[in-house]
Amino acid sequence: MTLPNLDLPPLLPEIILIGMALLLLVVDMAARFRDARAEGSLMAGLTFASVLIAAGATAAGIGGGDASVAGVVLVDDLSRYLNLVVLLAAGLSVLLAWAYVPQFSRESSSFYALVLLATAGMMFMGKSVELITLFVSLEILSVSLYILTGFNRHQLASAEGALKYFLLGAFSSGFFLYGLALFYVQTGSTQLAEIAAQDSGGVLLLIGLGLLLVGFFFKLAGVPFHMWAPDAYQGAPTPVTGFMSVATKAAAFIALFRVLAAVPGVPVEVWGWAVAIVAVLTMTWGNFAALRQKSLKRMLAYSSIAHAGYMMTGLVAGTDALNAILYYLFAYAFMNIGAFAVAAMLERPTPNAPQDATIDAARGLFDRRPALATAMAIFMLSLTGIPPLVGFFGKLYVFGAAVSAGWAWLAVVGMLNSVVSAYYYLRVVVVMFMAPEDETSYVRSRIPAGAGTAIAVAVTGVLLMGLLATPVFVELGRAVIALR
Amino acid sequence: MVGQALFILTAGITLLMALGVVLARNLFHAALFLVGAFFGIAVLFILLEAEFLGAAQIIIYIGAIATLIVFAIMLSRHVMGKEAGAYNRNWYFALAGVVFFFLLLGWLLIKMPFNLVTAEVPADAIAQIGQGFVGHYVVPFEVASVLLLVALIGAIMLARER
Amino acid sequence: MTVPLSWYLIFATALFSIGFFGVLARRNAIAVLMGVELMLNAVNVNLVAFWRYLTPTDLSGQIFVVFVFAVAAAEAAVGLALMISIYRTRKSINVDELNELKL
Repeated sequence: MTLPNLDLPPLLPEIILIGMALLLLVVDMAARFRDARAEGSLMAGLTFASVLIAAGATAAGIGGGDASVAGVVLVDDLSRYLNLVVLLAAGLSVLLAWAYVPQFSRESSSFYALVLLATAGMMFMGKSVELITLFVSLEILSVSLYILTGFNRHQLASAEGALKYFLLGAFSSGFFLYGLALFYVQTGSTQLAEIAAQDSGGVLLLIGLGLLLVGFFFKLAGVPFHMWAPDAYQGAPTPVTGFMSVATKAAAFIALFRVLAAVPGVPVEVWGWAVAIVAVLTMTWGNFAALRQKSLKRMLAYSSIAHAGYMMTGLVAGTDALNAILYYLFAYAFMNIGAFAVAAMLERPTPNAPQDATIDAARGLFDRRPALATAMAIFMLSLTGIPPLVGFFGKLYVFGAAVSAGWAWLAVVGMLNSVVSAYYYLRVVVVMFMAPEDETSYVRSRIPAGAGTAIAVAVTGVLLMGLLATPVFVELGRAVIALR
Repeated sequence: MVGQALFILTAGITLLMALGVVLARNLFHAALFLVGAFFGIAVLFILLEAEFLGAAQIIIYIGAIATLIVFAIMLSRHVMGKEAGAYNRNWYFALAGVVFFFLLLGWLLIKMPFNLVTAEVPADAIAQIGQGFVGHYVVPFEVASVLLLVALIGAIMLARER
Repeated sequence: MTVPLSWYLIFATALFSIGFFGVLARRNAIAVLMGVELMLNAVNVNLVAFWRYLTPTDLSGQIFVVFVFAVAAAEAAVGLALMISIYRTRKSINVDELNELKL
């Protein structure tokens, strides 16, 4: 028998993360920590370091050409940029989790190990060009996120959100798998490249794609497959919410692009309509539901659903919109995790676990902590899509891609939705700057260094990526050329 | 003919077992039906000359997953016995949707022309499967081990007494 | 091979649909999980049948099924652990009684 020529160096970032996850578990066993805080800091520090190294290893490879490992994963610039989005989300979330997780858990090692493995799973998912690898890596991110969602064992909401997420996620895996099976049947191969080569637009591929889309929409929280999302996002520990709302979308969108590129025989007129309808439902429902939320975290959860809808708008343009969506994902990583980080600062601590922050908790925030309030205002304006912040360019590029692909009406729906969203985003700004402080107001008396850094990095990212929008967009366009 | 009769018998029993799983009000009975359904599928695998999968089906699904489910039912003893409301209020919508799904997909799959290949299963099928795991599919094999690690961490973390 | 492929396909579709119904209609979380397991098994039957009738000399189909086994086991382990942990505090794992989170 012949073993394949395994060329592992292109997978160095993933190997670093998995290795560190194992190391964390060993360190936890070897060292007996008396203080949850000390353990949390050590674990977070090690995790953050490995995320930085993995990002460095990824960035060093950009422009270095494509490398295929055993024919099942393809390391190209698209997947390298996906790595960076996911690692950015992971890094910011780890900074936020630094002081957050020890508040309710003495199991920091498991927490960070799962974050690292989920990150590695997402990175694998974005570079899978083979169905089995795609399925297994999707399951890695799903299963680890079920656990992370339920990680706060002092709050029932956390476990219940996790259970809903699990049941619907496992259910959607069934559809996803059925779709993969039909792909395999039509072509007798699990390689996306061979499927693309043989695709003559068979009915099986069409049904298979339909079933796969159901699976993807579940992961992206597209309406009507979103039922788990508000509960899981609200119940999960806030750093996890920030992480999964960004990184899951990133991995799922890139993997979806690879799948769509593999079925050229199924015309865009067919699946485009399915995507367009789901996109319209997703953004409209997400925005209108966000309007009537009292909890800041739940409002951001619905807003996250709406943003998935905006990104789906770009999907109808096919691979032409790839750089637009990639840009949006970077933008979203900065502004959304930034917003969740500020929300975490407004959570009133209880003996066991921090309590969910209401929007009213932000009353008079500007008077007490002008810097924090300004940062939050920047995130809110960016999420609304006000120029020259990064959120504006994200929407501009995504909607622009939809228009040039002939889906102008979809872009119009997206813009109208942005107007609706302005209402609830700006309400937070108004509450922070105009409303007087009262007994509902709360902000931590000391901002932990990790969370402070995360917020500062996010603000910088939102401003800088907005200013440098054009060069960044051009560079991303170069990176995704291979898939076109 | 014998093959067809055997298939109809096994498939019929398996479907009845599956119906038992979703219809039995008593969860413990549902779990026993599930074991039956898993076993029927193992027999179908053997009829399809996938003996390795038949054995793996029994070891993994019946030996591990079904056992795990029975444990979970016993650990949440409260839910054993008859449940007053085993179903959602909207179960008939679900039924309509599922019947529609079945008819649509079933019709499409029957209509589908397949290029049937009549060839013998290779004698060293099991060896080829093994080679696949360390050959072409070595990366997903390793990725699957990461998935099992995740499950291990999670199950221990979640089920541990507080 | 005397059994037509379409019989297997119909059987698998029926099994998938039964599992699907179980997921949609049952209230107890363990019962929902059992429905999911039936769905995954149905896909496995599809894969094995397709392998036998379409590509009997290429064992990718069987390998795919082994991966599905691993995924199903991982999901079941985590899901059941989650249910047990919820049951400890709530004494109920009916899906529609998960009301800690409200709209």
